[in-house]
Amino acid sequence: MLVPLVMFLILALWGYRIGKPHSSLVAILGILISLGCAAYVTYQWWPLSAAERLTVGQQALSFHWATLGGLTDGIKINAGVKLDSLTVCVYLMVTIVSSCIFIFSRGYMAGHSDEVDHQSKYHRFFAYLSLFAFSLLGLVISANLLFIFIFWELVGVCSYLLIGFYFDRKYASDAAIKAFVVNRVGDFGFVIGLALMLVYLGDLSLEGAAASFGQLIVNPASAINATAFTMFGHPISIATIMGLCLFCGCIGKSAQLPLQVWLPDAMAGPTPVSALIHAATMVAAGVYLVARIFVLLTPDAQMGIAFIGCITLTMAAMIAMVQTDIKKALAYSTLSQLGYMVFGMGVGAWIGALFHLITHAFFKAMLFLGSGQVIEGCHHEQDIRKMGGLWRKMPWTAFTFLIGVLAIAGFGWPGKNTEPYNGLGGYYSKDEVLAVAYFRAYGGTGHAEESQSATQLSPQSSVLSPDSHTLPHGRVSDNSAIHNPQSAIASLPDGRVSEMETHQPVRLPKLPAWMLWCAIGIAYVTPFYMMRVWWLTFMGKPRDHHVHEHAHETPWMYVPLILLAIGTGLSSWFIFRPLIVDAASANAAWSASHAVAVTALDGHDEIVHHAAHAPLTNYVGYSFMVGFALAILIYIGGLKFAQRLIRLPVVSVIYNVLIHKFYFDEVYNAVWLGGTRAISRLCGAFDRWVIDYFIVENLARLTKMFAFFTGDRLDARGVDKMVEGVGQGAFRIGDVFRSLQTGRIRNYVLFAATSVTVVVIIAIMLTG
Amino acid sequence: MELFSQHILSWIIFTPIVGAALCLILPTRWSRTLAMAASLITLLLCISLYATYGPAAADTPEARQEVFGVQYGDMKHVERASWITGEKFAIEYYLGVDGLSFPLVVLTGVITFLSCWASFTVKKAIKGYYILFLLLETGMLGVFLSLDFFLFYVFWEVMLLPMYFLIGVWGGPRKEYAAIKFFIYTLAGSVLMLVAIVACYFFSASALGGRGTFDIVQLSTNQSILQKFSDPHTLLLGFRFAPFMFLLFAIGFAIKVPTFPFHTWLPDAHVEAPTPISMILAGILLKMGAYGFFRIAYPIFPTVAREFAWFIAAIGVISIIYGALCAMAQTDFKKLVAYSSISHMGYVILGLAILNKTGFQGAMFQVLAHGISSPMCFFLVGVIYERAHHREINRFGGLWLTMPRYSSLATVGFFASLGLPALCGFIGEVYVLLGTFRAKDTFDWAVPMAVIAALGAILTAGYILWMIQRVYLGPAKDEYKGFPDANRNEIGILVPLAALCLLMGILPTHTVFNFMNGTLDLLQEKIVASAGIVGHLASSIGM
Repeated sequence: MLVPLVMFLILALWGYRIGKPHSSLVAILGILISLGCAAYVTYQWWPLSAAERLTVGQQALSFHWATLGGLTDGIKINAGVKLDSLTVCVYLMVTIVSSCIFIFSRGYMAGHSDEVDHQSKYHRFFAYLSLFAFSLLGLVISANLLFIFIFWELVGVCSYLLIGFYFDRKYASDAAIKAFVVNRVGDFGFVIGLALMLVYLGDLSLEGAAASFGQLIVNPASAINATAFTMFGHPISIATIMGLCLFCGCIGKSAQLPLQVWLPDAMAGPTPVSALIHAATMVAAGVYLVARIFVLLTPDAQMGIAFIGCITLTMAAMIAMVQTDIKKALAYSTLSQLGYMVFGMGVGAWIGALFHLITHAFFKAMLFLGSGQVIEGCHHEQDIRKMGGLWRKMPWTAFTFLIGVLAIAGFGWPGKNTEPYNGLGGYYSKDEVLAVAYFRAYGGTGHAEESQSATQLSPQSSVLSPDSHTLPHGRVSDNSAIHNPQSAIASLPDGRVSEMETHQPVRLPKLPAWMLWCAIGIAYVTPFYMMRVWWLTFMGKPRDHHVHEHAHETPWMYVPLILLAIGTGLSSWFIFRPLIVDAASANAAWSASHAVAVTALDGHDEIVHHAAHAPLTNYVGYSFMVGFALAILIYIGGLKFAQRLIRLPVVSVIYNVLIHKFYFDEVYNAVWLGGTRAISRLCGAFDRWVIDYFIVENLARLTKMFAFFTGDRLDARGVDKMVEGVGQGAFRIGDVFRSLQTGRIRNYVLFAATSVTVVVIIAIMLTG
Repeated sequence: MELFSQHILSWIIFTPIVGAALCLILPTRWSRTLAMAASLITLLLCISLYATYGPAAADTPEARQEVFGVQYGDMKHVERASWITGEKFAIEYYLGVDGLSFPLVVLTGVITFLSCWASFTVKKAIKGYYILFLLLETGMLGVFLSLDFFLFYVFWEVMLLPMYFLIGVWGGPRKEYAAIKFFIYTLAGSVLMLVAIVACYFFSASALGGRGTFDIVQLSTNQSILQKFSDPHTLLLGFRFAPFMFLLFAIGFAIKVPTFPFHTWLPDAHVEAPTPISMILAGILLKMGAYGFFRIAYPIFPTVAREFAWFIAAIGVISIIYGALCAMAQTDFKKLVAYSSISHMGYVILGLAILNKTGFQGAMFQVLAHGISSPMCFFLVGVIYERAHHREINRFGGLWLTMPRYSSLATVGFFASLGLPALCGFIGEVYVLLGTFRAKDTFDWAVPMAVIAALGAILTAGYILWMIQRVYLGPAKDEYKGFPDANRNEIGILVPLAALCLLMGILPTHTVFNFMNGTLDLLQEKIVASAGIVGHLASSIGM
């Protein structure tokens, strides 16, 4: 299709962009072209039926890139395009959001003091942005995990370049290095995951790997199910390790615990970069990866993922509550939302997590751009304690920012079911994740019947009637019959499949309730910290008049904000959700036909969604109101109340822990950075003193002594008197040795070796 | 014309000598032009070998067979003439090229030409410099192309002497020390090699029942020789013959590669050598060690390769980690790059040790990739040394602001060295890592080794980025304000190298693998098959 062509165009264009005064326009043109193509592809894709989509997807571009191993028995690696609903959907999202950010950047960078030594870095910024967009789009469309990895690293480098854009400042280049190296740690796991895939599945293409995984996982005797080690009495299979290793990539890129440390520092980059990379698109790549490898995950691996996601979302949200830098507060909220996505993936809420990814991309890009507008308007003041009352000066920004706040807080009318008109994007997506989590935690017990009856009671939920419970699975079976007529699901050996047939939830381990309650609890915290940021920035009285007076906004910057606001509001539901659902059903169909019944895919989702809806409504439906109310109550009178609050004994301890981000940076600095540097210094010293000095130099000294002995004592005084000529020759050698002023000659080895040669030759001559 | 086409390899080897002779005769002011011309002609001749290996791009088994032959040892452009024949000796002038040497020959051509170009900074005794330089090129090409042990050894030594003088005369402050250190280390290695060559000759005589042979191909393919060599009852001075000889060769080559613990000559030699010589040293001389393993140590003693695989792999992994850690501790820019070479060459050793196709391909790719990226890095260091006259990393800073063009190219070079995907360093590393994992059924230690080696990638990122930060980023310092950006010569040298980095990284198959995989696969199959002669074969060692 057209997509690769666009990539090529971007790539070709970015070359000569460098050095152009109007490079921003070129960059914007480039991204708009790809946006156009994405829209065109979506438009073409839309009316196709599932079967047609599959055919088109199979016709997508593929090109033999390299072979691992021998020509016939090696593994072919094809560079190709993966074309399915997920690709189309994410591609469209990335291009829309990027376009807005590119346009915004023009405004942001225009008045920007990016000149160092009278050399503008303007064009370089847009060149990096374009390269970034290229890499990210490449990542999205790659059909082979090795290529995903390649683009993955490229994205990492672009982020390195962009975070370190103000490279003349130490903190920026520090942050850039941190981002890159921490990502490398994640990639280390990724590579091992790839290697395990290669070894056990024999394929790195998404499809091929999934196919062989499907065949192997159902066979208890296959190597992939072998127990690698036992943890807490629970066997961990190789397949699980593989899944978790691949997930390591996501931990790095999506800044999950324990590799979350780079993201807040990465805010050292220009604000559009923060929006592009650290909110909307790059960090989402991690979640995208998990979505892609979802079929390769075992229940154990999923549980691990859910665990990581849950911890991240909790910790990050708590830290976000105390941040005073507007961008850092947003950064932590991003972390927390990413935690939600990863948690969603972990609990099996594939649709919910991806939908949250899309909606989050929109509203977080909007929030970041809004903060960029604020920062730029206030002459690079990022401390929200100094802001306040800005809504008069920048009404558009305040308004769009508020929409973002509402969206992230899950604003909606929980009682009604007039989807999609009763809430903003974040409302549905978060709700879905939580619903599935709820189902996973309580679904198997008495709650299940309860919630089933709850669904039956709600007449608006048109999808569900008691009969229609079979619908999702029915569809699954139909599809699989279409795609793979031979696969007789019932006859497959694995027990899980037959469970699926009986419409029971797939046998997954129960989700520990504490994870669910963490996630629900944080649903209350999110609105609090978001409203706190908004209120402190835009409402109340101006706290710093200098900042207040300078505040202004510019059209290049707020127009994209409005576009994104519209995106946040509606388009995500109409355009993206159906695509995700379609991708999920294709996925489900596919996995069913390959007997990979390891995951709770979309099939359950709608049941689950409605099943868990009623109790959840009570728990989280109104959370945003509580959070908002609390935030407004605390901050309505400015900072005084909050300041008094943190002086309370218990609160102050918690506050200190939070403001130090749970001391991750300190510990990492001491242990990893300090440790590595110490070891490296040790190695350097070892090399210098032990190997080079002690061994080599002493050998040299020994040789010199030996040479002196032979040359001077033995030769000159002994042999010399008898054999004049030989002695003189040797003496000359000795002289040469002495005349070399360094005096450190390592002839010992040479000497020994020469003697050995002579001995060997003589020995052979004698024997042979 | 026939004289030319029949003897293309001789032309390749001796064109530089002709150039050197002309340099000697003609006045000094022509030396540079002559040297450039000679190395350019050599490069073109090297590239003309492409006609032989071009069809390999078809990438089907048949096309491969046609180009690379049906078994290891099928050489192209063979030239064979008896040279020194005695009652017991038959030394031949025996040249040939295959998929193993072809890429290295082209690499030699490219790097020598570029470093000849880069020699514009040399001002002292130009005539002598270029003569030795061209002599060095002959030595290097001869090593890669000769198939007779004796000839090989002669070229090996031919290359050694010019190098000694090039470092010792045109080097930095401690040049004598560095030169003699380099010389003695390498000489020690080559003497051990000579012992092994002679011993091989005599034992092959007893295997063939008559005259021995110096023919490398015959030594590595003749069944009775292999059998005799690997027989545990074949003893020399009370040691088992094969491991003993392998050890001698391996030390010789390991010094050249260099691997831990034979590496300490390298930082000194690099630091003191003039920039173009550092480029050659890193780009080609180190590759000879790897080539020696591929061409000599492994095919002739396959059983030992199998038996001591764990040891060789461990050496490789230690080199990777240890080299990276040492690099991190350096404050001299050139030393940092030198230690990074040790680290990168560790991947070659690891790839070799695991004895599977993926590993061999990765190792060889790494050889070539490092052959492009590390000369580039050394030249980059040389460029600022020219301007700043020091190499203290901590004293630099903010160069990007004063020299943007140079710094952008530097980023490409160092990122290639860091192993960034889409640049050449990545492919070799990832092949070696994946190959090591694939060897897990053959070797128990493969997976832990691979994991440790993969850790090296993090360290590499650490020291390279830290260096970039200290040298290129940060605010511009006053003392470097006036530095001119890269000039036309420098750009001319850096751009082709950067382009090669990119090309090899983006299209590895079309630029590299197609031209060597045929031979590498045959070689690997041969090694595995002959390792099985004494029953060590694990069935799973393929791929």
